[in-house]
This record gives sequence, structure tokens and C-alpha cells, in this order.
Amino acid sequence: MSSSLRSELPHHHDVELLKAVAAKNEAALGQLYDRYRLILFSVLMRILNNREEAEDVLQEVFLQVWRRAADFDANRGKPFTWLVTLARSRGIDRLRSLASRERVVTAGANEASDEVSDAATDAIRAEQRGVVNDALAQLPEEQKRPLMLAYFDGLTQTEIAYKLGAPLGTVKTRMRSGMMKLRELLSARGQYFE
Amino acid sequence: MAHDDYKEMLPALALSALDAEDALALHEHLSECNECRRELADWENTAASLALSASPAEPSPHVRTRIMNAVRSDKGARTQEASRVVPFPKNPRAVWTSFGQVGAIAAAVLFLVLIVWIFVLWQQNRALRRDMDSLMSEFRSVQEDARRSQEFLAILSSPGAKVAPLRGNGPGAGANAQLVYDSSGYAMLRANDLPPTPAGKEYQLWFIVGNNPPIPGGTFTPDDIGRAELTDRVPARALNSAVFAVTLEPTGGSRAPTSAVYLRSTL
Ligand SMILES: [Zn+2]
Repeated sequence: MSSSLRSELPHHHDVELLKAVAAKNEAALGQLYDRYRLILFSVLMRILNNREEAEDVLQEVFLQVWRRAADFDANRGKPFTWLVTLARSRGIDRLRSLASRERVVTAGANEASDEVSDAATDAIRAEQRGVVNDALAQLPEEQKRPLMLAYFDGLTQTEIAYKLGAPLGTVKTRMRSGMMKLRELLSARGQYFE
Repeated sequence: MAHDDYKEMLPALALSALDAEDALALHEHLSECNECRRELADWENTAASLALSASPAEPSPHVRTRIMNAVRSDKGARTQEASRVVPFPKNPRAVWTSFGQVGAIAAAVLFLVLIVWIFVLWQQNRALRRDMDSLMSEFRSVQEDARRSQEFLAILSSPGAKVAPLRGNGPGAGANAQLVYDSSGYAMLRANDLPPTPAGKEYQLWFIVGNNPPIPGGTFTPDDIGRAELTDRVPARALNSAVFAVTLEPTGGSRAPTSAVYLRSTL
């Protein structure tokens, strides 16, 4: 199932789209938006927990993609990783600037889980989501926690150690083991995200 | 530290979870180790897969509209700049068809004279504008230099002002800089002898407090003799004790340093 689904969303289609965006093709940016808005917005909602801020950052991210698509180098990475990393970084930046303005981030996690659309993209994403969630479910909690705190809360190893009341060395080891296990589980499922 | 130690730190870097000193050291190693760079790309894929664990959420449709509008106006501004051409009458033939033979020739001559005249005026105008523009820009740069020196002195002479010298490092070994900032954090960086920036890159200032990740500062590009100025704001938590560093980043700056350190201060 996965190979047939994956062929509908070929990795180099996204590479081509990014090239077209670098050449200032608006339609290509529109297509890229349609393919990535769900995954990127999910990440931003998870980080910021606030629809308005998340939408604002999402816009910022795509404007940055518009300006900097030429920086994407297909030899060095995948569109998925590039776009997700960009969104996640901007999200954490916003989280920090909100925190430094001492604004309280509104609670009410994931209030925004509206119905999601775009069947083809979503079918593949749903499958990928399943694989990642399965893999995470197999990680011991003590390894999973540091990964999540780093990725979605933007905490450093020292901050994580403080938060979990664990020695820094232990946090470093668990984070590394967690990442190794995750990589192993994902590659066992032949999962490379595109 | 050896290659193997750095290699162990790569998964944490992919999560951008390294503490500042570790991150800086690892970035320096990455600038000279292909193997670690390749491996980092792999860890970045693993880290990015965590994105899929967030529950799906749909942005409102107006976000797309706002993005496309912003992009269109950005593009409009570009094409307008590229095509400032004097309009030419579309169909000059239509001008003389109503005259007789002589009238047609006279009209043609008159028309040519007009064209030449317009062209000469346009050229003169352009030359004048060029002179004007270059004078104005010269004037502005002198004014700007004076303003910056004044600003630098103003910060320096305010109560509680601090000066941090930054020394050249690695690829920036020949460079030097001073960062002066007042007690409110208002800061100015002046750098000399920086290597020129390659296309698509800018220098970026970083504030490093203890073991925290470097806080990104502003970006700047040196002039052709390697001189640069940047005004910025030192974050409150970096006011009392911080290390200042400068790295080379993609245009627009990065969230965490991605290159070797070109300039840095000591505590
Ligand atoms: Zn290495």
C-alpha cells in the first residue's frame, strides 16, 4: 500500500515545485501551500497552541519559502525536511518571542482540529502519521519525553534536564537513544517522508 | 574533542536541543567534516518526522489568500522596476493616412524630428537624474557615516555603557569588531576587515548566555573594504554576562548558527 500511495506524491514533484517557486512562479507556491499547509499548520498549532499566532507564522513561513526557495538544495536534503524544519524553527522563534513578551499562551490544545481535506495528500500523510505514532509508541517514555520537549517546546538539553529533574548526562543519553531507536523503527518500515 | 564525540551530538543538534557552547563547538567541527554534515542531514530527516505526530489541523482559507496577495505584490514591484521604458506610439502609419503625399512626407519629417527631440530630452533627463542620484547617494552615505559615528559615541557615553571587543576567529581571523551597548540594551556593532560575503549569505550576530542556545541578532553585509555596522538590541538576559559572536548565515539570518564563528567576544 505504501509504495503505491507514495508514487502519487513523488518526492521530486516537490523538488520541481521548489525550483519553480525559486523562479518566482506563483502557481507553484500555491501548489506547495496546498500540499504542505496541513502538516505545517499542525506543527505550528502544536507548538503555539493558538490559531491566530499559528496562522500568522504559517504565512511568514510561506513568504520565506517564496523568498528563499533558491536556498533549497536537493542534494543536501528533502523538501519535506526543509519545509518542516523551517516551519518548526519559525514556530519556536514565535513561541520564544511570545514568552519574552510575557504573554501567556492560551490553553486549549488543538482546538483547531477542523476537518482536513485534500484526499490524496492526506491519505499519504495519514499513513505516515500512523507509522510515526507507532514508532513513538514503542519508545520508552523516558526517551520519548526529551524528544518531544526539544522538538515542540524548543527546550535545550539543560532545560530538559531541569524540567525533568534528571542529570544532564542522563538526558543526553536518553535523547540520543531515543533518536537512534526512532530512526531504526522508521527505516524498518521503509519510511522516508517526502 | 574528537570526531566521534561530535558525531554523538548530531541527533541533539537535529532537534536544536544543544546548549550554546556545544552547538558552537559542533558547528565549527561541521564546517570541516563532511561525514558529520552528511550524518546530520540524516538526523534532520528523523527529527522532521516528529512533525507527523502533531494532530492534523487545517488553517483558515484566508491564510492562502493573504500569502498569494503578498506574493503578487512582491512580484509586481519587481517587474515594474524591470520595465521602465518610454512608450512608443503603436501605429505611426495612422498619423499620415489622412494627408496627401506632401502632407505625408511633412508629417513623417515632423514625426522624426519629434522622436529625435523626445529622445534627446529623455537622454539629458536621464543623465541629469544619474548625476543627481549619485550626488544624493554620496551625500546620504556621508550623512549616514556621520550619524553612525555619532550614534556609536552616544551609546558609549551613556551611563552604564559597555564595550565588548570581538576578536577574529577561524575564517574571520583577520577581522575585529566592537560591540557597544547601553543599559537598555541598545547596541551597535562596528566591524573591520571581514571577508566578503558570498551570494546568498550575510553575517549574523549572536548573543550567548551561559548554556542557552545562542539568541539570534541582526544580519549585516560588509562594504567592499570589509567594514560593517549593525544596530541591534541586546536581549535583557544577555545584558550582564554574555558572549557575542558573528557567523555567516543564509540571507535573512538563521535561528541557530550554521557556520563557523567569524568573530567572538570573551566573557
Ligand atoms: Zn566529524
